[in-house]
Amino acid sequence: MASEQTSILILDDEPIVSKRLKPSLEKKGYKVETFTSSADALKRIQERQFDIVITDLKMDGVDGMQFLTEVKEKYPDTEVIVITGFATMATAKESFNKGVFDFLAKPFKLGEIAEVISMAEEKIKNK
Amino acid sequence: MKNILHQVGQLFQKKEQMTVPFKLIFADFKKILNLNNQILDLIADANDKLSGDYIFDEQYIHATCHQLTDLVRELIVLINHLTQQKYSDLYNSFHHIEENIEAILQGAVLCPVKDYILPYASITRDLIDAVGGKNANLAEIGSVLGLPIPEGFAITTAAFSLFWSENNLEEEVAAIIEQWEQKTLSDEEMAWKIQRMIFDSTVPAKLEKEILDAASNLSKGKQDATPSFAIRSSAQGEDGVFSFAGQYRSCLNIPLKNIPQAYKEVVASLYSPEAMEYRRRKDFRANEIKMSVACQLMIPAKTSGVMYSYDPVLPEEETLVISSAWGLGDPIVSGKVATDLFVLDRQPPHEVKEVQVVRKEQSMNLHGSGGTGMEPVREEQRTQPSLKNQQLKDLAQIGLQLEKYFKKPQDVEFSIDQQDRIIVLQSRQLSLQQEQMPRASDLTDIIGKYPILMQGKGIAAMKGIASGPVWVLEHDGDLQNFPMGAILVARYASPQLARVIHKASGFITDIGSTTGHLATVAREFRVPALFNTENAITLLKHGQEITLDTESLTVYEGIVHELHYYTFHEEPIEEMYEYRLLRRILKKIEPLNLFDPHDENFIPQGCRTYHDLTRFVHEKAVETIIDLNFYHTHQRDTQAGQLLWDYPLDLILIDVGGGIEGEHDKGIRPEQIRSIPMQTLLQGMSHPGIWDMSPVKVDFGSFMSSLTRTPPTRSSQPEDIGRNLAVISAEYTNINFRLGYHFTVIDAYLSDNILDNHIYFRFSGGVTDTVRRSRRTSLLNKILSHYDFLCEQHGDIIVGRLKRMNKKSMLKRLFLLGLLIGFTRQLDVKMVSDAKIPVYFEQIKTIMEESHGK
Repeated sequence: MASEQTSILILDDEPIVSKRLKPSLEKKGYKVETFTSSADALKRIQERQFDIVITDLKMDGVDGMQFLTEVKEKYPDTEVIVITGFATMATAKESFNKGVFDFLAKPFKLGEIAEVISMAEEKIKNK
Repeated sequence: MKNILHQVGQLFQKKEQMTVPFKLIFADFKKILNLNNQILDLIADANDKLSGDYIFDEQYIHATCHQLTDLVRELIVLINHLTQQKYSDLYNSFHHIEENIEAILQGAVLCPVKDYILPYASITRDLIDAVGGKNANLAEIGSVLGLPIPEGFAITTAAFSLFWSENNLEEEVAAIIEQWEQKTLSDEEMAWKIQRMIFDSTVPAKLEKEILDAASNLSKGKQDATPSFAIRSSAQGEDGVFSFAGQYRSCLNIPLKNIPQAYKEVVASLYSPEAMEYRRRKDFRANEIKMSVACQLMIPAKTSGVMYSYDPVLPEEETLVISSAWGLGDPIVSGKVATDLFVLDRQPPHEVKEVQVVRKEQSMNLHGSGGTGMEPVREEQRTQPSLKNQQLKDLAQIGLQLEKYFKKPQDVEFSIDQQDRIIVLQSRQLSLQQEQMPRASDLTDIIGKYPILMQGKGIAAMKGIASGPVWVLEHDGDLQNFPMGAILVARYASPQLARVIHKASGFITDIGSTTGHLATVAREFRVPALFNTENAITLLKHGQEITLDTESLTVYEGIVHELHYYTFHEEPIEEMYEYRLLRRILKKIEPLNLFDPHDENFIPQGCRTYHDLTRFVHEKAVETIIDLNFYHTHQRDTQAGQLLWDYPLDLILIDVGGGIEGEHDKGIRPEQIRSIPMQTLLQGMSHPGIWDMSPVKVDFGSFMSSLTRTPPTRSSQPEDIGRNLAVISAEYTNINFRLGYHFTVIDAYLSDNILDNHIYFRFSGGVTDTVRRSRRTSLLNKILSHYDFLCEQHGDIIVGRLKRMNKKSMLKRLFLLGLLIGFTRQLDVKMVSDAKIPVYFEQIKTIMEESHGK
């Protein structure tokens, strides 16, 4: 990990999610950027690729599904983790069809998302 | 809506009484049980979210509230359906609670108490919405940390609301603010108009009397013939996440009779242009601001000062900075007088590293007639240091204690009174210079240099970072020698350890649960705690310096300063809006006020929370089923009777098909029971030997009798009899037991078809003390899990589920539940220490092996 930090983009319109995730993930050695507006996040992914993208699904403006679709089209190697408070079978299915790595229902424990992230990281390394 | 439901319900009910078979009534009853379980689980889940382990957002809070509201409403509709609208008053209680919850969700801060005055001794953090941040903080410093604070009381937001409404200020102020927001009024005009209105208002007579009485009480028995007071602001948000430092007014040295006037002045400062603008910038909602006020006995200070628990510019120096001067603190805080400066080592024994004594020409002192003024300092004092060496060291210790508790570097205001005591006037978060902090990206590398002593073991009972020397507990008696700032390492998370909570930086134990008493206390005092590490006591050596990070379940060798600096960046979860919101909401949902069904308050009007409503409905549902089928002429399709047993357990059996055999007019003998699950449960409950395990000789008969029987003189009243109910058929049993304050629910079906077989077991405690309750839940969890139950534990509720096992295996486990039902009740008496958990576990296992083989 010392050689190259894994980069993570977090998009959730509720600021508390980033506020709590960012310090916890940074402490684990990840490089984290957070967004509460999907438009800003879209702009950012035009500029660079992230190893992992964590996004909410239901947001005002560009919704999470649209956002992750764009991410996957532009960077098929980026692993996307969906976090949502409105988990339904249909959205889960749609997410996985789009190539999402995992799907977490909110609220979740810090430990749970950390585990999913490290699994995604593992997958990226083995590519 | 309510009326329509009422009418429809009555129509339906009338018809139902004559024709509706028990099967349908029982279906309603089961729906009620289901809702009951769902509601209690949701409440427990929401409570779990406060542990700090979860990430939740506002949407979660809204969704959970709405879900709960729907379920509770359904519950009330059902019980009224079942009882011909007997409890339609529940709707009123429900709507009242629902309205409160909605208002809180919209951001309103409801004063949690009706009191206008709250003495510091009775204030806890939970009352922050009533007393404001400054009062709550200070009161906690006094009551939780045991540090000296000014004597005083809070004038609550309820008092503010009264002042506001009696003077009809609400609408007029709102109108002025609207003009200001539309920019038709300038900042100054707005402030002048509102403040003018406040000054012209009168403090309501009853409020004035309470304030003056409380203030004279404070000065009772004091030598000072004419005591004076400090009246300070303690607005919502002040000293919390947002620092409104200096925005609001303080009035010093106020004589008793002038307190009401000073109260108005402080309240008026809520509407200074600066404060209004600040709140607008910070997105404070208009209804989130209510002014609580502090009234304190004035301290005629010899010396006053400010302490920083870290040097804000050079935190890596690991020093603590104190500046002080003679007299009152105001000119020191506002930089109007020169101050002495002392720099101390943060580590005990707090060596003084640097001293700068300046010439102090003037000091602020109290005026005899009230108010304050600058006076020349006596010549011989001018060049003397304003603090003594011992005072410096005591201050350093206080600073670290405050920092540990509030989880942030602290900026502390203090005074030294005429008796040379250090009095803490205020403590708030200190911002450190950002550049000095390790960057997150470097953090892993930096931390990587420290050897790891332990990792990935145990569960965090309280999140956080703690550093200090290891102190291994050999015998409980040694606790009195526990040194300040050490990390306590012990075999069990025993409640006794809470005795050193003021001194300990952290706790590590080999065994212990996050629902135990020590965990609760650790969260209350915000001391990082790691339990269930299995062998910390052998891995960590007495006296060894370590750093405990409970979030990553890691123990490092040495003091990892960088980790501390880094966490100072993080906003403590307790201070986040969502966390505050959830806490506020849960106050309307979670507390249980209805315990005893015989209590006169056990009525629909007595329900103050969703939990109360749920509890009430459950009790009445069981009562109704018993009533319908036993005391009244029951339906043709059921048979009912009281169990005649050697043990006087008041149990009403309702048979819905093939569960009972033979004549039962005088009661049902156990051998008449044909319901296999019921039979097996009774065998377990009456197993000889299970009761011999008690060190206190309590025989089952008298024991159960005391818990489940009401005096025979009253037994003619059906509603007074025990509410133990079993609905049975040949293959099915649904049990609702209330033994004392414990509730047991069992739902079991067993047949030769493995796919249909299931057992559901739910046990919840009541009002016993938390320590033994959590031990009992831990024991149940251990036993049930051992016998393949899928267990969920929320606080003191434990739910075990089992499905799809063959008949023989299911029977064995029902027998086990029988054993547990009787046994667990006794555990309250017997669970004297955590060490008993494995002992009783083994005893239960032995009985099981003797009766059912390995």
